[in-house]
Amino acid sequence: MYESKAGDRLAAIVLAALAVLVLLPIWWMFRSSLMTNAELFAYPPPFAPAVWRFGNYPATIVNFPFWVYLRNTMTIIVPSVIGGTLTATLAGYAFARLRFPGKDILFILCVGSMLLPTMVTLIPLYIAWSRGLHLQDTYWPLILPYFCGGGAFNIFLIRQFIKTIPHELDEAAKIDGAGPLRILASIIVPSVKSAMIVVALLLFIGMWNDLLQQMIYINSSKYFTIALGISQLKGTLQVDWSKIMCATCMSFVPGVVFYLIGQKYFVEGIVMTGMKA
Amino acid sequence: MPIKGKRQEITAAYLCLIPSIIGLVFITYLPLLSVFSLSFFNWGSGAPNPKFIGLSNYARLFTTDPYFLDSLRVTLVFAVLTVLGSMIYSLFIAMLLNRKIPGRGFLRAVFYLPYVLPAMAVYIGWSWLYEANFGLFNYLLGLIGVDKLKFIADGKLVVPSLALIAVWLSGNLIVIFLAGLQNVPRVYHEAALIDGANSFQRFRHVTIPCMTPIIFYNLLMALINNMQIVTPALALTNGGPGNASRFITYLMYQSAFISNHLGYGSAVSTVFFVIIAIFTAILFVTSRNWIFYEGEER
Repeated sequence: MYESKAGDRLAAIVLAALAVLVLLPIWWMFRSSLMTNAELFAYPPPFAPAVWRFGNYPATIVNFPFWVYLRNTMTIIVPSVIGGTLTATLAGYAFARLRFPGKDILFILCVGSMLLPTMVTLIPLYIAWSRGLHLQDTYWPLILPYFCGGGAFNIFLIRQFIKTIPHELDEAAKIDGAGPLRILASIIVPSVKSAMIVVALLLFIGMWNDLLQQMIYINSSKYFTIALGISQLKGTLQVDWSKIMCATCMSFVPGVVFYLIGQKYFVEGIVMTGMKA
Repeated sequence: MPIKGKRQEITAAYLCLIPSIIGLVFITYLPLLSVFSLSFFNWGSGAPNPKFIGLSNYARLFTTDPYFLDSLRVTLVFAVLTVLGSMIYSLFIAMLLNRKIPGRGFLRAVFYLPYVLPAMAVYIGWSWLYEANFGLFNYLLGLIGVDKLKFIADGKLVVPSLALIAVWLSGNLIVIFLAGLQNVPRVYHEAALIDGANSFQRFRHVTIPCMTPIIFYNLLMALINNMQIVTPALALTNGGPGNASRFITYLMYQSAFISNHLGYGSAVSTVFFVIIAIFTAILFVTSRNWIFYEGEER
């Protein structure tokens, strides 16, 4: 590389120090989840628990039915992630490879929607879903929109990625008599797998964090997701901080697991899209 | 044969785009038009059927609404702090991560980690760190002799405290910056080295110009996302203390979904949309002066 050795060493030290700072809040939440409330309110606060009370976790599940919430969350997320990734791939393919009338205007409308804050359309969508289609207190208003393209950024990402695949492969398939959809299935999809994983991860995180819409559409506590469950904690557990921290740490796990599975594709996927311009 | 191929291509294209077109029409642009029209109606509690009231909602919003101007100010302060903070933080981290250092993959994962955690759980978790008497931050501040702060319980500190969490959460910007840095052509750096440029000069005259399109993209997206901040108000502060964290999205949520004034909430949404549109336009217009596109004369 063109950077100096000494500079690299300094960078490594600074990064390691910053990494400790970034991880400190997570460690503090985890360590708090393993302590009794009496220990939590001691001064000075110990850095690590004297006894690792993993029993706090089953005790928390009494107030915070984690497995129910997780199942509900997955009921929304799994179909949405699949639907969003598939429809974004279809649209990205059309924009990257196919010629058709109206392409430019559609592409502008699509990219333009990236600039539109989602909260602006919330009220009309709520009226349509809950008063027009009577789907209040179901998961449909949260799932179905993801089957409609999966978001402009994701379409754009897939399109950029497909543009990096050499045309020769398509041409060869075309000569063999393959139609556009056949080319998509047999050539494009296998080569854009890492971009699709990036899109799936982004959709996953987006849904996971979308507390506002879940609050609006879900009323019954039996349908509560992890996000909704967490948002009720302060009301039910008040200052029982050790249980609140148990619930917080439990809700961290699914995202981290999904990220660790997808992470090796992550930067590579975004680099490949030629985000330079 | 070519004609048939062409028709086949067009059919395939529209087939692929059906879901997205449905989405663009019914989930994006039609609701956008509806929110404008709804803002001229009184609809909801006290008015079971929509009733046209002209500009009354807007008049009320700008004159008698006790929260609106505060919420606008709070939202802007939060957005400015968060956008500046997260842009500087993530560009800095990305530049360091772009070097040849041991454990790079692991470090990258560490800085990205906060982004994959569910935001409301993060805010709840941090509220314990911010706790006034037993929290981590006051303990650390006590070690260096600073008096106890109330952080999210203090009207003056709540927005900066939430902004710090948002910066901590901004790992997605790091990934995009990192991707951009890896796409900066090596030859530019090599040419600058031959000309005897030191590392600061190369940062200033090679890295930054090549990165301007990405900086622009991140700036735009960070602005739009952070202006829409609502999760901490929903999960943690309920807009308080006082009105200190009554963000504009939260105000919209309260008017439309708690007080059930759908028309009034639509007026809040419309004003918010116009503000974002103005900011976006300013960014686009000024960007012509500072964005550098490869192979283009300035």
